[in-house]
This record gives sequence, C-alpha cells and structure tokens, in this order.
Amino acid sequence: MAEGTPAEEAAAGHPATRTPIADRLAALEEAELERAQREEADLDALLDRTENESSGGLGFGLRLSFRSRLTLGLMAAAVLPLAAFGVVALVAEDLVVNDVDTLGRVLLLAIVIAALIGILLAYLLSADLIGPLRAIAAAVDRVSAGDLSTPIEVPGEDELARLADSHNRLAATLERRNRELGQILEAIERASPRDGAEFVAGRAATDARAAFGMIDCSILLVDPRDIPLEERIPGEALPVRAILQTGEEELGVLVGHLPATRTWERADQDLLELFASEIGVAIRNAQLFARVEAQNTQLLELDAAKDDFLRGVSHNLQTPLTSIRVYAHQLQTDRPDQRLDIIAEQSERLSRMVRQLLTVTRLESGALHPRIEVLSLAPRIRRTWEALAQSQVELTVNDASQGWLAVADIDQLDQVLWALLDNAVKYGAGSPIAVDIDVEEASSRLRLTIADGGPGVAEADRARLFGRFVRGQETAVDDGSGLGLYVSRELCRAMGGDLVLEPTVAGRGAAFSVYLPGEPPEDA
Amino acid sequence: MLSGGPAGYGDAAPRLLLVDDDPNQLVALADQLRADGYQVQTARDGDEALRRLRTAWPDLLIIDMMMPRMDGLTLAREIKAQADLPIIVLSAIDAGDSKADLLEEVAEDYVTKPYHYPELRARINRVLRRLGDKVPRQSLVLGPALTLDLHRREATVGGETVQLTPTESRLLYALAANLGKTVTTETLLARGWAETEDADPSYVWVTMRRLRQKVEVDANRPVHVQTVRGVGYRLVSLGEVVDG
Repeated sequence: MAEGTPAEEAAAGHPATRTPIADRLAALEEAELERAQREEADLDALLDRTENESSGGLGFGLRLSFRSRLTLGLMAAAVLPLAAFGVVALVAEDLVVNDVDTLGRVLLLAIVIAALIGILLAYLLSADLIGPLRAIAAAVDRVSAGDLSTPIEVPGEDELARLADSHNRLAATLERRNRELGQILEAIERASPRDGAEFVAGRAATDARAAFGMIDCSILLVDPRDIPLEERIPGEALPVRAILQTGEEELGVLVGHLPATRTWERADQDLLELFASEIGVAIRNAQLFARVEAQNTQLLELDAAKDDFLRGVSHNLQTPLTSIRVYAHQLQTDRPDQRLDIIAEQSERLSRMVRQLLTVTRLESGALHPRIEVLSLAPRIRRTWEALAQSQVELTVNDASQGWLAVADIDQLDQVLWALLDNAVKYGAGSPIAVDIDVEEASSRLRLTIADGGPGVAEADRARLFGRFVRGQETAVDDGSGLGLYVSRELCRAMGGDLVLEPTVAGRGAAFSVYLPGEPPEDA
Repeated sequence: MLSGGPAGYGDAAPRLLLVDDDPNQLVALADQLRADGYQVQTARDGDEALRRLRTAWPDLLIIDMMMPRMDGLTLAREIKAQADLPIIVLSAIDAGDSKADLLEEVAEDYVTKPYHYPELRARINRVLRRLGDKVPRQSLVLGPALTLDLHRREATVGGETVQLTPTESRLLYALAANLGKTVTTETLLARGWAETEDADPSYVWVTMRRLRQKVEVDANRPVHVQTVRGVGYRLVSLGEVVDG
C-alpha cells in the first residue's frame, strides 16, 4: 500500500500555496521601492532647485545657514557690480577725470573687475553649497543601488542637514523593513508541516518577536473575535495584531506589543499581516498534515487489525481441517476406504484455499518476505503431485536441470506448483500433464513449464488471466478462488522470478512457465 | 536410519511436550507421535505448559501459535527466558509473513498448517539432531570481520549485520559446535534439511557457497568458512589453532 503518499502530497502542496504570497511579497517590495523612489525624486527636485539657485551666488565658506549663504550669494552677485559702478563713479568725480573717454574706460574696467569678483565669489560660495548636495546625491544613488547602511554626514542644523537627516531616516526605515522582511521570509521558509501546528505557531511567534523587535508576541489558534482589541495608550507599549488568514478561513490571531518609541506605519502593519497570513498557511498545512498522518496511522492500525483477523480466521479454519485430515489418515490405516482419501483430499483443498486468501493479504500489505533456500525442482513437483492425489491423470517430468538448484521459498513455491498442477488437472480434460525443467545458464535461471493437453487458453482470456478474481470466460482457467494465477505470479516475482503463459502451440493445451533464480551444483 | 522415527538418539525415546488449546488436535497428534515412539506429554494452554516445565524439561516443545490467553509466541519467549529448549511452532501463517519472522526469533522451526504429519515428524527429528551441539548463547567472535549471533540468526560481517536463513544458521550451528574441526557434508545435510526435503549433497555445496558470499569479506578467499575438499567444511576462528 502506498503509505505516506497523502502526507507527501500535503507536503508537496505547500510550495504551491506560496505563489500568491510570493506575489504579495513582490507587491509589497515594489510599493516600498516606489516610496523610496518618490522620496528620492523629491530630494532630486530639491537638489536641482537649490543647485540652480545657488549657481549665481557668492560664498565665503562661512558657517552660515544654507538660506543665509544663498541670500549672501545672490546679494553679492547682484549688488557688487552696482556698488563697483557707484564707487568708480564717485572716485572718478574726485579725480577730476574730465576726459569722457577715460571715464568711460575706467567705469567699464571697474564693472568688469567687479563682475569678475562677483563671479569668483559666487563660484566659491556655490562650491561650498554644492559639496553637501553632492554628498546627498551620492547617498541617494547608493540607496537606489541598494546600499542603505551608509548615512550622509552633513554637519550643522541647516536645511541641508535636515534633508540629509530625513534621507538617513528613510534609509534606516528601509533597511529595517528589509531586515524584517528577510527575517520573516526565513521564518516562513523554516515552517515545515511535519512540525505540527502548535510548534509552527510557537516558533512563528518567537520569530515575529525577533523580526519586529516586539516586547512580546504570541499566536493564538482561536477565533480572532474571541481576542478583544487592545486600546492604544500613548506612552505605553504599542499593541499590534494580525489575523492568521488562509483564504476565507481565520485560523487564529497574532498579538503582541512594541516598545512605545517604535513607529508603526502602514507598511509595517502590511508586513506583519503578510507574515501572519503566511504562517496561517503553514499552520493550515501542519493541521492537514497531522490529519493525514492520523488517518494513515488509523489505516495502518485497521490494516493490522484486518491481518490479525485473517490470521485468526485462517488459524481457526486450519485447525479443524488438520484434525479432519489426521483422523481420516488414521482411519485409513485401520480400515482402508477410498472415501477417506476423498475426505483428506478435500480438506486439504479447503486448507489451501484459506491459505491462498491469507497470502493475498500478505502480498497486498507487503508483509510477505520470501524465506530463500536452495532446492531441487523435480522432487518438489513430484511431492506436490502426490499431495494432489490425482491417480487418473498421468504426469511426466522431464528434468534437464543438470542438477541446478532453484533459489526459492519452499512454502511459496509449493503454493505456486500446487495451483498450476491443480489447474492443469482441471482444465486438461484428463490429458497427461508434461513438466519440463531446463536451465538458462546465461541468465542463471531455471524454467519449469507445466503443460496440459486441454483446449488451451482462449485468446480473449490471455491478457486478463493473471488479474485478481479472474476466471476464464470461454475456458475457465482457475483453481476455484479466482486468485490462483494472480497469487502464483506475485509469489514468483517476490522470489525474484516470474510466471508466464507460454504462447499457444498446436496440439498442446495451456502451458505455464515458472522462472526462478538458479545455482549450479558444483562443490566449492 | 532417521526417517522412520526417533531411533538413534541413545536409549531413551525423546520427550516431547505438546501445547495446543484444541483437544482434538492435541489427542490426534499425541497419538501419532506416541505410535512413532516418542514420549509425549500434553498441555492445554501456556500456563499448564509452564507448570509442567517446573517438574521436568522435555527435549522439545511443539506449540500451537494461536491459543487463548497466552499465545504461542508469548509462551515461546517465556520458555526461552527460562531454558534453551528447542521449540517448534505450529502456525497457520506462511513462512515469509512478518509474524513468522517474529516466531523464527524464538522458535527453532515452525510448521505451517495444514501440515502433513510426516513433514512435522521430519522437522522434529531435524531439531532433535542438534540437541548434542553446544554453542554458546552469546556472540561468537570468529575474527575482526566476523561475529555470529546464531540465536538471533544474524552475522556481523565487517560491521554490517547480515540476516541468516534458518538453513544457513542450522549449518553454522553444526559447524560452530565443532569449531576448527571438519564436519562432513553428510552431517551438514542431516542438520540442515529434513528427510522430506529431498536434499542431496549439492544442497550443502550451494548453500555453503551462498553462505560464504554472505559472511566472508572475500568469498573467493574464504577465511572462516573453509572447504575440506571431498570431505566437508570447517568453521575457523582466527587466532585459534586448527587441528586436523
């Protein structure tokens, strides 16, 4: 019987149930990424803006706020040339430069110089402004590339420092969620249906606590409505909750507490719920697995009970049958009577059929282990023939085994030979039975063929002859129970051999060949 | 010689204790065995059998497998715990059944119902033949690569446990009882097979060859199971002085 198969199916079903979860995980990651990208875009916009604004300004490398530096720069760029112009105009008046040409040249020179100074100042200032912005841009690039661990260092308290801060926080949150995601994925990966629902739940609670940094966490396999919602009190531990859901079914609820300082956002709740529902699937699998296991155990017990029952029945039938035969035998010795032979013979027949039934159940439950010995086939066939006590039918044994011994279980071979000889008598229409024993040296096998001179096996029956409870339709080939050939073939195969129906040959009836492993008789 | 009955076991007829809950079978079998010259005592159940054992030990017990209260297997275990008396179990279970394997652990042999009386008698005689063999009950260490546990029908070959068939263990019993000495093929034939099994010397040759493949590290260069050409076989323990 294929024991454990349903369990394996349950186990195999586990990865299949993951697909929607994997999708959800992917969606969550995507959302997370999108958020990051959006924030990054904001950052970029801000950067662009500030960079543009600062490009025309002046700077002195002073420790001023970003806004002050920007203002200074703009003012320098706008006011310096004007101031220069004014100064030159005043000085020129004082120096009495009457020559209009000279004055114009001086003024022009002054403006050019002032403009150059203004540009120089703006360049210096913009270098001072751009430094931290470059650092932020590089950090954002790193985040896009997946490196969340390197924070941006921008000293001071200004807008840029705040921008860097907010970036650092964003990166930290992303990194934390990534870590949590990694941990819960690992936890989900670990859940095996073989562990049992309680164990899976217990471990998942521990895992969730570790992953989310909870103060406490437990998974209760009860109706979630039985667990009241906890109120959130500012300054106290933050209660969290997620339902273990598989499809429509709610298997239980995950409840826990976070430190009061911990932020808990939508994405965090999503992650927790994702974890809860995945653990729900794992628990469901474990429950199904346990049920299948329990059913398997029950089936095995039932099977064992059936075996015991059949053994009992068999024993209880065999015991009186044995007595009948023993007494018939004793009476025969005292007062010979052919009717006593018939009593002995028929009780033996009955015993054989009971035994065959028991053998079928052995075969099916795999409880049959051939007890392999070596034996010579010709004497076995003669003994079985004697047990059949068929004085009207002639049996010829042509032994070409050259002393080779078969490797077989004597009891099981006995059943096979008995069934085949009994069939040959029954369907041979009184014709002589021919037994041929030969050696196939190349394959180290012995072949024993039993052929009768009856009508043979109808074509329609050939294919189905070895089935269970099969009787020939046109020409019945059977020993009465419909199991003879089925059992015989199975027994032969269990001994490493086979039983085949030989092709029809004109002038010969049904011919069955038993193949068995053989051993040459040499002394060693 | 042996086929007719218990002749050849010294002067006294072998003493058998027959245990069966079915009175018909008990009486019929006891009558047949007495007619063949055995001393037969009977018991109707396991308790009665154990009581009888307190007063005298038979040479062999024949126990029906299925009995109310104490079944044959339990009784056989109980008896083996007291004394190493040979036991034959009568059972409706075929050889090869997992239950039969359990029986084989405790019983010397078992006979499947429906049995033929001559078959049972042959098995009884085969078991009685080894009564004189004295083999220690504990493991028999023959060398670094071979240990025999004949009571469990096991051999340990190079650290691996190998199951022995009943015939193989019967042959090893006969060889181990004469450790280092040659045992003739005829003796092994009589120990290994009952008369009803039509055995001839080739049975011994082939079985010994197969046994060698099981218990020797190199079957082509046997160390423990040695052939004495034209005579028989001997079992050799490494480090032991081999005589003759």
